[in-house]
Amino acid sequence: MSLVEVVDVVKEFKSGEETIRPLDGVHLTIEEGDFVSLMGASGSGKSTLLNLVAGIDEVNSGHIFVGDVDTTQLTRGKLADWRAAHVGYVFQTHNLIPVLTAYENVELPLLLLSMSAAERAKRVEVAMAAVDLTNRAGHYPRQMSGGQEQRVGIARAIVTNPTIVVADEPTGSLDDDTTEQILTLLQRVNRELGMTLLMVTHDADAAQRATRELRLERGHLVENGKPILPRALRTA
Amino acid sequence: MASKLLPWDYGVRNLFRRPSRSALTLGGLSIVVLLVLVVVAFIRGLEASLAATGQPNVVLVYALSSGADIENSAIPARTPSLLAASVAGVRQQQGVKYVSPELYLGTRITVGEHGSEGLGLVRGVTTSAPLVRQQVQILEGAWPAAGEVLVGRLAHSKLGCEKELLAPGASIQFDGRQWRISGVFAAGGAAFESEVWAPLADLQSALKRQDISLVAVGMNSADAVADVDLFCRERIDLELKAISETAYYADLQKHYRPVRMLGWVVVGLVAGSGVFAGLNTMYGAVVGRIRELATLQAIGYRRRAILLTLIQEATLLACGGALAACLLGLLFVNGAAVRFTMGAFMLRVDSVGIALACGTAVILGVVGAIPPAAKAMRLPVVEAIKAI
Repeated sequence: MSLVEVVDVVKEFKSGEETIRPLDGVHLTIEEGDFVSLMGASGSGKSTLLNLVAGIDEVNSGHIFVGDVDTTQLTRGKLADWRAAHVGYVFQTHNLIPVLTAYENVELPLLLLSMSAAERAKRVEVAMAAVDLTNRAGHYPRQMSGGQEQRVGIARAIVTNPTIVVADEPTGSLDDDTTEQILTLLQRVNRELGMTLLMVTHDADAAQRATRELRLERGHLVENGKPILPRALRTA
Repeated sequence: MASKLLPWDYGVRNLFRRPSRSALTLGGLSIVVLLVLVVVAFIRGLEASLAATGQPNVVLVYALSSGADIENSAIPARTPSLLAASVAGVRQQQGVKYVSPELYLGTRITVGEHGSEGLGLVRGVTTSAPLVRQQVQILEGAWPAAGEVLVGRLAHSKLGCEKELLAPGASIQFDGRQWRISGVFAAGGAAFESEVWAPLADLQSALKRQDISLVAVGMNSADAVADVDLFCRERIDLELKAISETAYYADLQKHYRPVRMLGWVVVGLVAGSGVFAGLNTMYGAVVGRIRELATLQAIGYRRRAILLTLIQEATLLACGGALAACLLGLLFVNGAAVRFTMGAFMLRVDSVGIALACGTAVILGVVGAIPPAAKAMRLPVVEAIKAI
């Protein structure tokens, strides 16, 4: 069974009298260990698809399976619990909590999981070391550069050892050098830690760092120039 | 996982995120809670004064025709001896019966060198008075001799003058005579504390009166009050009325019920305005953190946990305000004297007042936090996460 299975997902928005359907029966399969990049024009619905996989948005129809859980069937509370255990989210604008130190920001998702304080501390230290920010543990976000903040954001996303890490334009607010550092870091997270990643980007160079490159066109996903078909048709 | 809350530190540190806003809110909430405390102190002080004045085993005997107003009462001077001789159950010690003849009146009293005048309450008493009014204690000086008076510790408040002007050795004038102050007395918060006590014979002489206003009789038990009542009913020629002191002041309390009710209305209005202050602050605090709150949801924190954190922040601030208000109240409000028709009483910041003030603060915090927090939580996470 695939790690993530998106089945015939439809997502619509109302814009005045008009109904916009950025996702019009999307199918997607992500295997464990994949690093998937997702590109598309502005407003094509790539962030919407990422948010649906991350469980922070709701489908109009269709199903999203992560492992053996159909996340579209979970209640809001259960979905929050599921996110805490299974999703690591890297935001474009870092979204660190300003009143917490880098260490505390990374620790924040772990407070939702049942584990001892010692285990929690060990996991935070490992995550901080993975993004090479051990020496910045006591710093507040305002005391760090944009690149450092994003590395803390990545540490926060991987600290729970989630089923999937989603990254919404993770280099969108960074300069070229820092972008390179962050993309290298995401590749390391995928290769060395074996984590599955889904990254939305508008940058073709960034997209090429992934192991799979997808495009969202007219409400459907395209891979290597071909539309992604439902699993049944693919196997046939 | 359902009950996992955000770290306590998160809420506390958020209070210092916008220090000037928090400080202003703290000041506003302190004022609101202090106002609540002052009104409660007023009500509690008034109630305590009236409650302390009445003793269950003391009976007041006065003229049937005077209604409930002892000032208008005039009864024969022989009434005390008749009561002592005729009524069983009168308390006595070493042959001295606890029967206190008293002349009670409101009159203009002139105080100090500049002759400032105020409406005071004067009670003509004998040495039997302290036997019946057992809460009376002389704080300074001595029992008054002829031409002297003993002043209650709140008499200055009733007369609207400086306390020093009524110190032992000073003089006051009323009813055409000058009286030297022999001492100052307390009465456990009772209404007597705002009175001026003069020797009964001297006062009668000054007023050219032979009668008295009332007789206060100390009984062996509260049940013996009926004996005095029976005496008054049998001696219809004397036209007397008997009532236990407790019942008398309980009846007076009824007259102050509208004042107390008004006090509670003021408490409600003040607290209501405090809610708006809290709401304003929390709306400001939450609006600036929409994206942050959405991030917490994206990480996996439930809405309830975030709501509780916002309530925690507002409640902490309100409790800080309550603490400041209680300190100010204990330092500057507690014990402050207030004049009223029956004399004066002291504002009382007691455990009830402090509990009510703290309770008000907690309610302000909770009620002020819920609407803005709920509004922020209603926004879809995907929209809120992009908020500026």
